Amino acid sequence: MQGVLGVFHHLDATVDAIKDLKTKRLGDVTVYSPTIRHELDDAIDGPNSVVRRFTLIGGLLGVSFGYWVAIWSSEYWPLVTGGKAIASWIPYTIIGFEVMVLVGALSTVAGMFINSRIPRLTSTTGYDDRFSSGHFGVFIACDTAKATQAEQLLRQHGAEEVRREA
Amino acid sequence: MATIAHPVREGIRGPNIASADVQLPAVRDYEQVDREIIATLGFTKKWFMGLSLAILAMLCGACAWMYQIYWGLGQAGYEPPVMWGNYIITFVFWVGIGHAGTLISAILYLFRAGFRTSIYRAAEAMTVFAVMTAGMFPIIHIGRPWKFFWLLPYPNWRLLFPNFKSPLVWDVFAISTYLTISTTFLFIGLIPDFAVLRDKETNPTRKRVYSILSLGWRNSDREWRHFAKAYLFLAAFSTPLVLSVHSVVSFDFAMALTPGWHASIFPPYFVAGAIFSGFAMVWTIAIPMRKWFKLEHYITLNHLDATAKVVLFTSMVVGCAYMIEFFIAWYSGVRPEQEFFWNRVFGQWWWAAWIMLLCNMALPMSLWSQKLRRNPAWLFILSIFINIGMWFERFVIVVPSLSHEFEPWQWGSYTPSWIDMAFLVGSFGWFFMWFLLFVKQMPVMAIMELKEIVTPRFKKAHDHGGHH
Repeated sequence: MQGVLGVFHHLDATVDAIKDLKTKRLGDVTVYSPTIRHELDDAIDGPNSVVRRFTLIGGLLGVSFGYWVAIWSSEYWPLVTGGKAIASWIPYTIIGFEVMVLVGALSTVAGMFINSRIPRLTSTTGYDDRFSSGHFGVFIACDTAKATQAEQLLRQHGAEEVRREA
Repeated sequence: MATIAHPVREGIRGPNIASADVQLPAVRDYEQVDREIIATLGFTKKWFMGLSLAILAMLCGACAWMYQIYWGLGQAGYEPPVMWGNYIITFVFWVGIGHAGTLISAILYLFRAGFRTSIYRAAEAMTVFAVMTAGMFPIIHIGRPWKFFWLLPYPNWRLLFPNFKSPLVWDVFAISTYLTISTTFLFIGLIPDFAVLRDKETNPTRKRVYSILSLGWRNSDREWRHFAKAYLFLAAFSTPLVLSVHSVVSFDFAMALTPGWHASIFPPYFVAGAIFSGFAMVWTIAIPMRKWFKLEHYITLNHLDATAKVVLFTSMVVGCAYMIEFFIAWYSGVRPEQEFFWNRVFGQWWWAAWIMLLCNMALPMSLWSQKLRRNPAWLFILSIFINIGMWFERFVIVVPSLSHEFEPWQWGSYTPSWIDMAFLVGSFGWFFMWFLLFVKQMPVMAIMELKEIVTPRFKKAHDHGGHH
């Protein structure tokens, strides 16, 4: 993916650049930051994460499996213990709850990995080692025709370094 | 993710509870966070000495285990009718220790308690290693550890499954789920920090290892968006899980018709005790760590003050539970119950009960003094007393109950053997070995979350001559 990368040291300058780039519609913008900043989230105004759907589905599958395995195995070898019913839903709620948490949490992690596209084996265009430390990065995926305008805009907002990536 | 609050001043006299939501005034920028946290990863002579001691202690436990496997479970100090002893006591002790980590990382995250930021990584690691330690004890206790998989509901040709109505099977599910989720929570939080280490590392081998562990993390807005949501949901799942695990452990006792055990107060009593002992262990590891790693400006007196208030509160809950147990025994009019509780404090095991009451109820009352809450040396000493007191609490629950049941012919005694003691020492060695290995391979504080607290650089302030 080709485009232009701007490296910023100041948060407000990064926010201004993102807002301006979105207004000018020069291309898809990817923002790199050392940590989560709500100022950046507001400027990017991205879609809601779909991880919650993985959580919901995983949790429902987990609780169903937890109850099912306890009830099915009890019915398969019916043996009265402690004077309780063969399929006792109160003690089985503990199994249902624990398996719901287990499967729900692991599904959440799977959702995060799938949507974030990790593990990633190849290097990403536009990434710079400084983005994990103290700098912010703004990458605009655009063709050569729009690259000059993007470069100008990033410099105008105070980017420390602007370079083309291919 | 972390909570940002108004800065509070440091010093002997500090803020009240409302401002326990602390900032880090001595941490100026993101680069300083990277530099100082990565500096903790350097190996030192003291660390090697500590690790050697831990391995030595662990080997004591390993030798005892081999001896017990060869000669049988009779080598442990069990004497009928006391067939639960040191192994179950130490199991409950370590499960309890394992509670503070997820409480700090998940529950305090949902409550937006800012003081968690500096201590939660160490506490989370402590949780994982404590639960790993705890998980070994039921396996040791069954005598034939190679049969432990019978507790799992695996498909088999006999179509035999565990009894899902048994609290011991609930334990298997609760603890294995807790270990899995705690480890996952720890690892997820570490991914962005591994990316920092990957980008800073100069040694090619270590760089490669951190590259693999960071999973190709690039700090992009897409990654942060999904990360934040996943972290929130993991915290939401972990919160009831924390409360459920020690409740389930308490059912091991409360479901049995034994004096001193069959009480509905056990789940909240166990959970409060677990949080109490877990926070004490956080002090045991965090107070030396902040000194040796020169991290006093990250784990400040305000942080210690805030944690001290949690310990004080949970100490009072635990103390209240002790008193309620005595009251209910008296109020119930059930003679075996009354005799048992009289025996608990004035009978054969009076010394254990009084150690418990002194360490868990009396000494933590010193934390009403703000001066002592902000004194790291006192907090460290107190944490050792609480750890001892909480081990004895479990001793008092297990041994006096089993040795003093309903009929006099059922009464007996219990003397731990050298094998029991070696396992206890070995468990501390095992725990500290993992923790010491952890602190030199992975960031002991969450770099990513610390950066959320630190004010980033602003161009407008810079243009007008401001600091940032």
